[in-house]
Amino acid sequence: MEAYIRGIGNISPQNSWDNAVFPGEMVLYEGNRLKCIEPDYKEFIKPIQMRRMSRTLKMGVSAAGRCLRDAGIEAPDAIIVGTGLGMMQDTEKFLNAILDNDEKFLTPTSFIQSTHNTVGAHIAVMLKCNKYNLTYVHENISFEEALLDSLMRIKEDPSEKILLAGIDELTDEYFTITDNAGFWKKDIEGNSELLKHSSSGSIAGEGAIFFVVSGEEHPGNYARFAGVDTFYKPLSDDETESFIREFISSRGLEFQDIDLLITGMNGDNEGDNVYRRIQEKMFPGTPTAYYKHLCGEYYTSSAFASWLGAMIIKTGSYPESIIINGLRPEGAVNNILIYNQTNNTNHALTLLSTC
Amino acid sequence: MEELIKKLKVEIIEVLNLEEMEPGDIDSDAALFGEGLGLDSIDALELIVLLEKNYGIKIEDPKDGRKIFFSIRTMAEFITENQK
Repeated sequence: MEAYIRGIGNISPQNSWDNAVFPGEMVLYEGNRLKCIEPDYKEFIKPIQMRRMSRTLKMGVSAAGRCLRDAGIEAPDAIIVGTGLGMMQDTEKFLNAILDNDEKFLTPTSFIQSTHNTVGAHIAVMLKCNKYNLTYVHENISFEEALLDSLMRIKEDPSEKILLAGIDELTDEYFTITDNAGFWKKDIEGNSELLKHSSSGSIAGEGAIFFVVSGEEHPGNYARFAGVDTFYKPLSDDETESFIREFISSRGLEFQDIDLLITGMNGDNEGDNVYRRIQEKMFPGTPTAYYKHLCGEYYTSSAFASWLGAMIIKTGSYPESIIINGLRPEGAVNNILIYNQTNNTNHALTLLSTC
Repeated sequence: MEELIKKLKVEIIEVLNLEEMEPGDIDSDAALFGEGLGLDSIDALELIVLLEKNYGIKIEDPKDGRKIFFSIRTMAEFITENQK
């Protein structure tokens, strides 16, 4: 199963809106929270529609519009979204209204828009697209599940053009609660220091990343999703190694064919040690990178990694700050393996290759 | 009545997120739905909740909504007549 990336729309804490500029200069943040750089929404949303939309919905609709325009298509054959948290801002608004008004006077807007599938549904309504529309919610493998569904649909019909997304927002309340719970580093000066602190926790992030994927070759394609797989709660590193070995060999590749390994290292000591052990044992001579200092940690951050990998394959260049083991890709980057896991529980592998 | 109309305009701008509008931009006698302010059915639900929450008035018969919510002035008149 594979699919070409025809178009991209990316709203992230980095300057990722313009696909013609890569790699841009790294945007630096102080503290433990990264926020998206938002574009001018009026380009994609009418003011009368915008007034009812939460921030994430505006990000999702705009990134989808940018992505479709990039791919040169007006409406997709399917909309498949991955999200860990769904519409947090509307959910918080709705729940706070219940508390503030003693369970009376509930207004409809935030309730209607508090569901996980709001973004996919709203895009469908705006595009008048009444075709396949699904949202996957599965913690840190939500995007991979959406990607897997996309690949299966394209296997059935390679001519389909699917709008695939990974989207999650970071609201003030969610950040405060998770910060109090110890999710985020307290002692960090900023995102450029992420791997320099030997402590628990990471930095918080968010993003709305959309791809148009298709089974058809096209001169404008960025890269090719050549495989995705997930793996739950290994009992030992041996199991993880077998999973990775099987994933690579089943795609007809050898370890030395991987030109770049992009890991989900996020500064959390315990979690990063899993990556270090695997990297040292299985990929000792492979250029290895990370990306969460650019976008922060959030459930669908692997969509950002896919964007990063696709742009590296398309342009042949990469941000200097992502390299972590001193080894750099030599020559063309043909195969990129993205390896993401959280708490050694949900592991995911995505293979990106040249078209 | 004019004070109530002014207050209603401020409340409607807030509840319906009419971010780029000022109370002075809304004509007290213009239609709220359709040609006028361009509100829709979800806005109608928001306005029903606004009447109940801020003025303690419950609309018993939904058919009355069309008349009550025709304009800001008809809303103000309805509130004046029904507020206890």
